[in-house]
Amino acid sequence: MDNANTDLLPRNPTTGEVLPPRAQPGYYPGYSTLSQQRFWDAATHEVVLRRVHQAQPIRFFTPDEARLMEAVCARIIPQDDRDEAHRIPIVGPIDERLASGRIDGYRYEDMPPDGEAHKLGLQAIEAIAQHLFHTPFLQLGAGQQERVLKTIHDGEPPAGEGIWRRMSAPRYWMLLVQDCVAAYYAHPYAWDEIGFGGPAYPRGYMRGGQPEPWEVEERRYEWEAPEWAVSSEYEPLGRGHETITPGQGGSH
Amino acid sequence: MKSPLFGKFEEPEDDEHWLGPIQRLKTPMRRFAPGDEVDIVIVGVGSAGGVLLQRLARAGFRVVGIEAGPFWDTERDWVSDEAGSHQLYWNDLRITGGAHPLAFGANNSGRGVGGGSVHWAAFTPRFHPSDFRVYSEDGVGADWPISYQDLKPYYELLEREMPVAGPAYFPWGDPHGYPYGPHPLGGPAEALVKGCTALGIPVCQGGPVAINSGSHGDRPHCIYRGFCIQGCKVGAKQSTLISHVPDAIEYGAEIRANSMVARVNLGKDGLVTGVTYFDEDGHEQEQRAKVVIVSGYAIETPRLLLNSACNGFEQGLANSSGVVGKYLMAQAGNVVMGRFDDPVRMYKYPPANALTEEFYETDPRRGFARGFAIQTVGPLPIAFAKQMMVAKGAWGWGMRAVMMDYNHWAALGLLGEILPWEDNRVELAEETDRYGLRVAKSTFNLHDNDQKMIAYGVNKVEEVLRAAGATEVVQEPRYAHLIGGARMGNDPSTSVVDGFCRSHDIPNLFVCDGSVFPTQGSANPGLTIQALAARTADYLIAEREAILTRQPRSMRGVEAGAPPIHYDLSPHGTSGRGVPRLKSRTPTPEIGLGGLPVGSKG
Repeated sequence: MDNANTDLLPRNPTTGEVLPPRAQPGYYPGYSTLSQQRFWDAATHEVVLRRVHQAQPIRFFTPDEARLMEAVCARIIPQDDRDEAHRIPIVGPIDERLASGRIDGYRYEDMPPDGEAHKLGLQAIEAIAQHLFHTPFLQLGAGQQERVLKTIHDGEPPAGEGIWRRMSAPRYWMLLVQDCVAAYYAHPYAWDEIGFGGPAYPRGYMRGGQPEPWEVEERRYEWEAPEWAVSSEYEPLGRGHETITPGQGGSH
Repeated sequence: MKSPLFGKFEEPEDDEHWLGPIQRLKTPMRRFAPGDEVDIVIVGVGSAGGVLLQRLARAGFRVVGIEAGPFWDTERDWVSDEAGSHQLYWNDLRITGGAHPLAFGANNSGRGVGGGSVHWAAFTPRFHPSDFRVYSEDGVGADWPISYQDLKPYYELLEREMPVAGPAYFPWGDPHGYPYGPHPLGGPAEALVKGCTALGIPVCQGGPVAINSGSHGDRPHCIYRGFCIQGCKVGAKQSTLISHVPDAIEYGAEIRANSMVARVNLGKDGLVTGVTYFDEDGHEQEQRAKVVIVSGYAIETPRLLLNSACNGFEQGLANSSGVVGKYLMAQAGNVVMGRFDDPVRMYKYPPANALTEEFYETDPRRGFARGFAIQTVGPLPIAFAKQMMVAKGAWGWGMRAVMMDYNHWAALGLLGEILPWEDNRVELAEETDRYGLRVAKSTFNLHDNDQKMIAYGVNKVEEVLRAAGATEVVQEPRYAHLIGGARMGNDPSTSVVDGFCRSHDIPNLFVCDGSVFPTQGSANPGLTIQALAARTADYLIAEREAILTRQPRSMRGVEAGAPPIHYDLSPHGTSGRGVPRLKSRTPTPEIGLGGLPVGSKG
């Protein structure tokens, strides 16, 4: 590993040692939802396997936008602790959603359509990078990139006024993060990472809070984000977030 | 483990329509000829529409249900996967605004046969007697034109037809018991029970929830996989798709799926003549009917009435009051999450698993009117990540870290009664959908009483989680369910429909769904929507002659009292035994419009 790469990696907080990329980060070593696929129903099998094996061609973003979007998403959901073979596509699924015009059933009155919001957001991110560091976002180090994005998280972007007059910064932030986590946590590799059982029909579960025979017990290890990371600290979203209520399904 | 415990799984044959792994759609569906006038057309085959269709078909009406979404085959169309279930929700554009804009789609809006009952978590508490008298008792909100006693027999019927699993004794509101036993507890329910018990708060375990705890006819019991709101492939959770629609089809109802109603048509005599809709090929069609029932729920129902504006009803059909679209409600649905040292694994077991209604009624000491319930929720990973984005401001490495702890978190939901306010409303936006129909625009603002209730309620849920042993507690503001937009009442100048869901303005136009509720309580609305649909069907059956002879103006008004209750119209194998404290199948004697609710709080 060269130095540039090790800078991006999480560390053992006790020893300070860099933790090398893994096929499967998280506390469930050896756990594999995909190994259970012969117990899934046919429709589910098809949907999940297509997600794992089919890379989507970029149709919505221009090549320049797609490169910038890749860099942005690599900070919203960093995957530097995953080896190359086990990284989860983020921009592909977002692009596919926007290209096919799939929305969540609503648009805030102070927001443009999702696709336009994403394109405007990329322009604003570039403007903030120039404002703070006089450098394109793509050429910034990961720590600087995080500081650019953090200004939107905080609801106080220091550049791109024209864009923020057309859309709300906190709502754009939530759109961006939601799209990234929706892609990442839809993937079986992410399920293995967090110990989620994945598809469970027609077999079901029988053991409540305990692992099923094919699940594994948690085996925790200590890790911390790279030193430059600001996203490792939990800070409240920018002002006004309490009125934003993304209100996703997943509840009653 | 090489094979499942119970052997090889069956795959669907080509000509089979599956409604769960055992039930098949048996009979070919009746098709009315183009140009045929039917007795009754129902717009929207969801929670209300499915029950109406079933009751009316069994009673012998010629009835058609027109549904915007697909007629699901549960085995082919649904998946055991969070991201893959996107098509279950009403995802067409709506504009949302106001100081506290509502989210739609997966949050509260269904599409396809079964409607919202396909993706509800299926908590089925009844409304309390006090819910029907909020204005009389608390001086806020509105009274219903019907009482708890009017709905009680229909609650009892639907609890058996769904059927509902829960305890033998449910202590709040009008105490009652459930026909199927309570479910075992998942992680969040354990937390709720432990926390409430530590604080001396009574708590109800394992229901009430419309999920089979034992097999029921050709529907198996729950397998505890936790994908309730992604559509229950198991067929254990009730949706009208699997509980009422097969019976409706057997009795000659027709469902036209993938068909979007554009407007309700008004004739020169001031009666509606039917509906105009776009069929699944996008062609405009007309369906004439003697009676039209709009069952499109709190956004699409007002939208359709407003889009049906015509001569004589320039502000929207049946809208002489100006109330169509107004008094829109959502319940406060804040999700409060606690981290526990021991794994919780909240993806297993139904999200709807335990609740307390101890804070449901007004308590003057709290400084606000009405109250809230506390319920379990069990977000799957994507929903949980989005909740953590808000609750902790998580992103980047912080998001990855908190998600690695997914199995240590338990989520509980506030379910709080936001009051009906005139400024919370559905209107038409300038934008149009793919059919050229103007889309809905909602405006939503919390008022002082709502905000006090939410602050108090969130604090109480946090207290419960800490008492259960949570080491960290965070919350996400959110709203659950939609209610209102075409409310019922006795006064035609302040309401859209009467106590039988008949519009004040047009005698053969009905609205029957959650939009007619004047208030919403702190109970999930699904059971009450289905119970109200069964009651509305009984009214239509009682007025059969007036309907069939085209004399809708001679249909009886609410002053004539409640219609006879039909105990013989339940789907096969659902009536009869199994309900503790339900002594007989004869109507309870207290029924009567405007009658004082029995068993309500003092």
